Amino acid sequence: MIFIAIILGCIVGALIGVNMPMISYSYSGYLAIAIIAALDSVFGGIASTLKKNFDLKIFVSGFFGNAILSILLTYLGQKLNVDIYLAAIVVFVGRMFNNLAIIRRYYLDKWTEKRQKNKKVEAKEMTKK
Amino acid sequence: MKKFKIRADITAVTVVVFIVCIVLVSVMLMQFRTVEQTDITEIENMRESELRSLLSDWKTRYEEVSTQLADTNERIEEYNKTIEDNEAAAELVDEELTESNILVGKTDVYGEGVVVTLSDGTYSRVYASHLIDLVNELRYAGAEAISINGVRVLAMTDIVDVDTYILVNLQRIQGPYVVKAIGDKDYISTILQLKGSGFVDTVTDINVSLKVENKVEIPKYNGELEVEYMQEVVSE
Repeated sequence: MIFIAIILGCIVGALIGVNMPMISYSYSGYLAIAIIAALDSVFGGIASTLKKNFDLKIFVSGFFGNAILSILLTYLGQKLNVDIYLAAIVVFVGRMFNNLAIIRRYYLDKWTEKRQKNKKVEAKEMTKK
Repeated sequence: MKKFKIRADITAVTVVVFIVCIVLVSVMLMQFRTVEQTDITEIENMRESELRSLLSDWKTRYEEVSTQLADTNERIEEYNKTIEDNEAAAELVDEELTESNILVGKTDVYGEGVVVTLSDGTYSRVYASHLIDLVNELRYAGAEAISINGVRVLAMTDIVDVDTYILVNLQRIQGPYVVKAIGDKDYISTILQLKGSGFVDTVTDINVSLKVENKVEIPKYNGELEVEYMQEVVSE
C-alpha cells in the first residue's frame, strides 16, 4: 500500500514538475535548500521507521517546517550578507549521512543475522546427518 | 506494516507519503530544470537587483579598463615623443656629419671660385714654395677648398720639392700646375692681384694666369684620414 503510494506520488510529482513553469534563477537557491531539508526529513523518517519510533506529526511538521525554516534563514542570511545557507546545508547533509548510516547498519545487521541463522541450520542438519 | 499501527493509522500515513512524494519530486524536477537551463537564459531568469549589481560590476570594470586605456595611450604618446626627439637628434647629427665631411675634405664639392695656373717661366721653374705661397694666400683670402692638379689640399697636406717634380699629399704632380679654390671669387681675385703684395703681382719669374669661374669643381681626398697619436682633451 505504502509502496504504491510512493510510486504513484513520484509519477504524479514528476508530471507536475515537468509541466510547471520555470522559476527564476535567484529563487532556485532557496528551493535547493528546501529540497535538502525535505530530503533530510525523508531519511529521518525512514530511519525512525526502522527504529520503530516513527511519528506522523513529527515527520510532517519536520518535512514542511524544516523546508520553510531553511528558506527563511537563507533569505535572512542574504539580507544580513551572511551565508547562512552554508550552515543549513552542513546540518542537513550531516544529519542525512547519520540517518543513512542508521539505515545501513539496520540492514547489515539483518543480513548478518540471516547468514548466521542459515549457518546454524546447516550445522544442525550436518549434525543430524 | 505492523509497525505503523502502533502510532498512526495506515491510511493517514499512505496519504501523507503520497503528498510528500508529489511535493518532493515536483520541486526537485523544477529545480533540475532551472539548474539545467540557467546557462542558456541566464539574464532572463535574474531579478532586477542582481542585474543591477551585475551592471554596477561591469561599470566599475569598464572604468578600470578605460583608465588603463588612458594610461597606455599616454605612455604611447610619450614613446612617440621620444622617438621624434631621437629622430631630430639623428637629423642634427647627420647634418653635422655632412658639414664636417665637407669641411675636412671627404666629399666632392663645387662652387664659385678661381683657377690659378702656374707654368715654368723662361729662367725659373715652379717650386714647391710657389705653391705653398699661393695656397697660403688663397687661405688668407678665405678659400674653403683648394686642390692642386686634382689633389685635394687638406690641413695636413704637405707640398715638397722632389727633383723636378712636386709631391702633394705624397702624390707626384707635374706642371703646369692648376690650383683650384672655392670661395668668394671677387675677394680672392682681388687679394691675388693686389699691387705690391698679391701673388700675381709679386711672382714674376714664372707664368701665372688667373681665371675667375662661377663653377669650380674640387674632388674629395682619396686617402684615409687616420688619427694615430693625438687624443681629445676632455675638460672636466
